[in-house]
Amino acid sequence: MTNDKPVNLAVELGPLRLENPVMVASGTFGYGQEYAELVPPERLGAMVVKGISLEPRSGNPPPRIWETCGGMLNAIGLQNVGLRAFLEEKLPWLKPLLVPVIVNLFGNTVEEYGKLAAALDGQEGVAGLEINISCPNVKAGGMTFGSDPEMVFQVVSAVRSRTNLPVITKLTPNVTDITVTARAAQDAGTDILSLINTVAGMAVDVQTRQPRLANVVGGLSGPAIRPIALRMVWQVVQVSRVPVIGLGGIVSVEDALEFLLVGAKAIQVGTANFVNPRVTLEIIDGLEDYLRQQGLVDINEIIGTLEIPEQSQGADCR
Amino acid sequence: MLLRNAEILFNDRVSSELYHMGLLCPEIAARIQPGQFLMVRVQEGFDPLLRRPFAVHRIHHNDPPTSFEMLYRVVGRGTRLLADMQAAASLNLLGPLGRGFQVPDHDGFVLMVAGGIGIAPLPHLAETLVSSGFRGPFVLWFGGKTATELVCVKHFKDLGFAVQLVTEDGSEGRQGLVTGHLEQWLSQQGELPKVMYSCGPYPMQRLVAEMAARLGIPSQLSMEALMGCGVGACLSCSLRCRPLEDGPDPHYLNVCQDGPVFAGEEIVWE
Repeated sequence: MTNDKPVNLAVELGPLRLENPVMVASGTFGYGQEYAELVPPERLGAMVVKGISLEPRSGNPPPRIWETCGGMLNAIGLQNVGLRAFLEEKLPWLKPLLVPVIVNLFGNTVEEYGKLAAALDGQEGVAGLEINISCPNVKAGGMTFGSDPEMVFQVVSAVRSRTNLPVITKLTPNVTDITVTARAAQDAGTDILSLINTVAGMAVDVQTRQPRLANVVGGLSGPAIRPIALRMVWQVVQVSRVPVIGLGGIVSVEDALEFLLVGAKAIQVGTANFVNPRVTLEIIDGLEDYLRQQGLVDINEIIGTLEIPEQSQGADCR
Repeated sequence: MLLRNAEILFNDRVSSELYHMGLLCPEIAARIQPGQFLMVRVQEGFDPLLRRPFAVHRIHHNDPPTSFEMLYRVVGRGTRLLADMQAAASLNLLGPLGRGFQVPDHDGFVLMVAGGIGIAPLPHLAETLVSSGFRGPFVLWFGGKTATELVCVKHFKDLGFAVQLVTEDGSEGRQGLVTGHLEQWLSQQGELPKVMYSCGPYPMQRLVAEMAARLGIPSQLSMEALMGCGVGACLSCSLRCRPLEDGPDPHYLNVCQDGPVFAGEEIVWE
């Protein structure tokens, strides 16, 4: 059965209201300008821009990328223009856009996270912050912070205490139990959780016997990691008091729906932007079509409606 | 930058590993500047996952142009899938992308240097120079492993180029590497080139850039890198370049967006 009633795609993630649940993930969409000819930013639910640090960062030496089966290994090393250039050169273009712009931020120390949060607080055009404690490609901070619940608590507290903006904490999958770091971020006052960042990985050239990435190890993204991401989002949703954004290998509307059904309030699309720059728009249209097919009028009617058959309910895959 | 499906007009094997593909896509054809490239989705689906970058080889100069060509070498899974595609099939393209070659300010001696598949972007540049009224003289130095790699030589000759060939196995032209013969040849010429355009393997590009710098000739090098997005978003295709004042060192530029064509003096060779 189809219907022609208007459907609502808007979702509320604590203090953050999105016109639709489809966001672009940090580091896969630049600062929005790169894809603006193909994707009007206003059509997105929100845009998470490339992670910034207090000072500009060179990033890792090349090669920084290697394709694997259904996936992409990268070790960019958080190359970015730094806070000052972001505020002076990137933000003026973002400011007039009618789309929530989330700034992903990264520090080498707890204090640097706090300083970044303070500098971005109250900046016109910034709708929220996403704390990157989970990049696997940098030596200081990054994953070291992200895999230690005590450090997660400290970093999120430092940001929380310096900003009134909505705070999203992006979790790494490279832990034994992601619900532990999720709880730590929540206890420190994060408004929202996003997961997962890339899965630590590696590839070797058997002819030269050298690693494919100059950084030796990198982060795996793309459809290869989607089942891992979905399982972790589902686990976190069970224990979380705050809304969860799901990401990891989403390339289609079906993938996005999987994450919404297990309880993610919104999703981010990352690597798929490289393959099909218009994939986010296709997903947004696809969500409307799905609701109509299901005879529904509101995306919130499907979020967290996973049905687990009775005989499976004893299963514990944590 | 456009995202379009193009129709494959032909996809011919030129030599053992080289293929020549014609593509019909008027909107993209009308926008391509010499030295720009396309990100090609070699197959529907997500394995292989990423698009592949290819130089535009030639534009078909009907007015307005509606079709163009790529010349590519089969090096892995993506290019093997591309080589299997048939005429009339559709191919999804993102492009044209990047900063291409700059045409010289004044007419005069133009030198092009190509190594192997590095010949790919040069015919479009050569045709553009000739059709813009430049009279040269034009010289192409073209090196390959063996004679079968030295394709489209007749095309350059028809455009009025003097062509110097070099093969590693000596099966055609001089034996050795282009960079092993070029400087001595240049020293015997009455004048130096106004500009050198080059495309080929990194070690060749380095020697060309260093020689151009020694002789005071501006060089424009089309560089290659593994790419993720092609538009400057993923920052994967980095090339080490001279740091900016007050900027971080090392300074990495994106081959996709800041290039693929760089001035020789911009690059820090590693």
